[in-house]
Amino acid sequence: MSTMTWVDAAAVDDVPSDDVVGIEVQGRDIALYGTEDGIHATDNICTHGHARLCDGFLEGHEIECPLHQGRFDVRTGKAMCAPLTEDLRSYPVKIEGGRVFLAFEG
Amino acid sequence: MTTQAVFPIELKWESEKSSRIPFMAYTDEALHKKELQRFFYEKHWCYVGLEAEIPNPGDFKRTTIGERSVVMSRDEEGAIHVFENVCAHRGMQFCRERQGNRKEFVCPYHQWNYTLKGDLQGVPFRRGVKQDGKVNGGMPADFKTEEHGLTKLKVASRGGVVFASFDHEIESFEDFLGPDILHYFDRLFDGRKLTILGYNRQRIPGNWKLMQENIKDPYHPGLLHTWFVTFGLWRADNKSELKMDARGRHAAMISTRGNAGKAAQVTQVSSFKESMQLKDPRFLDIVPEPWWGGPTAVMMTLFPSLILQQQVNSVSTRHIQPVGHDAFDFVWTHFGFADDTEEMTRRRLRQANLFGPAGFVSADDGEVIEFSQEGFEQKPFHRTLAELGGREVENTDHMVTETLIRGMYRYWREVMEA
Repeated sequence: MSTMTWVDAAAVDDVPSDDVVGIEVQGRDIALYGTEDGIHATDNICTHGHARLCDGFLEGHEIECPLHQGRFDVRTGKAMCAPLTEDLRSYPVKIEGGRVFLAFEG
Repeated sequence: MTTQAVFPIELKWESEKSSRIPFMAYTDEALHKKELQRFFYEKHWCYVGLEAEIPNPGDFKRTTIGERSVVMSRDEEGAIHVFENVCAHRGMQFCRERQGNRKEFVCPYHQWNYTLKGDLQGVPFRRGVKQDGKVNGGMPADFKTEEHGLTKLKVASRGGVVFASFDHEIESFEDFLGPDILHYFDRLFDGRKLTILGYNRQRIPGNWKLMQENIKDPYHPGLLHTWFVTFGLWRADNKSELKMDARGRHAAMISTRGNAGKAAQVTQVSSFKESMQLKDPRFLDIVPEPWWGGPTAVMMTLFPSLILQQQVNSVSTRHIQPVGHDAFDFVWTHFGFADDTEEMTRRRLRQANLFGPAGFVSADDGEVIEFSQEGFEQKPFHRTLAELGGREVENTDHMVTETLIRGMYRYWREVMEA
């Protein structure tokens, strides 16, 4: 069984509203999204063309990759359209004391 | 003595008939471009390949129609698409591999990204690049990917053979062939699953029409191809028929070999060499197949791009791809049938040694086409003389005629002079 570890990733104030920011957390490229129902986190590298999603465009709950316009649901990492064929990893998020924590496995 | 203009300005025929073909029809670049337009890019179905070459979703094959590079691909649902290999952005021939399997097509220059159907799906930095809180560049707001897909061709597939046309108003493939030629097409491609045995590729330095003419010419095999004659595969008095579609553009040379077909019977042709023996007689290990329905050889010309070969057990498609007025690429696809025994597959492969660029028989054709082109280039005011069997165009029940060449040029004149 894998265990989840909560990791302090960023300050809540570092996450723009209605936009995306890229950060590095324990060596992983992470994209943090400020949406109307809170902050979400996924891997930052597109599963298709290896572009950085933080350079892309957030619309509601979907991030559009700047390279080939593939879209992922930022809440689940689900690939929503072609040319994507592979989902993106998403991370559970909790907010405590003005900090954003992500749950990493192991 | 009057001097003749060696390099005429205009193509001139000596009469209303098509039996004397001006050399200029093979030497003029402007006429060549007009041919590409009228025969390859409109109103004609051109060959692209066999379905068996792309059996799985994502499989593709790059090939050529006329002088335009195209890609045949199979999409996720199994449907076949043909689109032009020219990126909508900067015109690159983005697909470089001859064959492969892909989830999508990506132009290497700027990574414009297309589906297996040829639709544009992604444009890098379409919405610009974010920098310090602002977005720089990007495509204009009215840019729509749907308007910038690849040029798609109309596709027709019959019996596992795929044809395509840039012309979406074209008649059906069946109407294009006409009933008589369709009959012989269906004889070869009767719905059995095909298997690919291999390819030959060659560039022949002659005008592309000469290849069509070569397979519309039953005059030469017994005279040029000493291999055929020596080993009894060709006799000018074989039981035979020559058939055309109503317009004279497509044809079938149908012949049935006599049972003996060797020794004394062949002596009418002087090049027969009684003393020559095959070191490996398996090249002529011929086993009749039920689907032949009689004829032992049917050579078909589907104008403008394809030759279909059945010479006893060896079957192939031969694809004509012009490269300027004075050369063409000739691509042979040797195939068999999924229900062939291993022994039959070996037999088809052995007999394929007669064909292709170094084939015991076909090597001769590449040479004479080159020599014809050389003759044409040196005196383009002159003309050929395709008058064996008369000056008319008609189906015949013998081989001693150039009627099929006359038929093709009657059609050529009809289209080119329109």
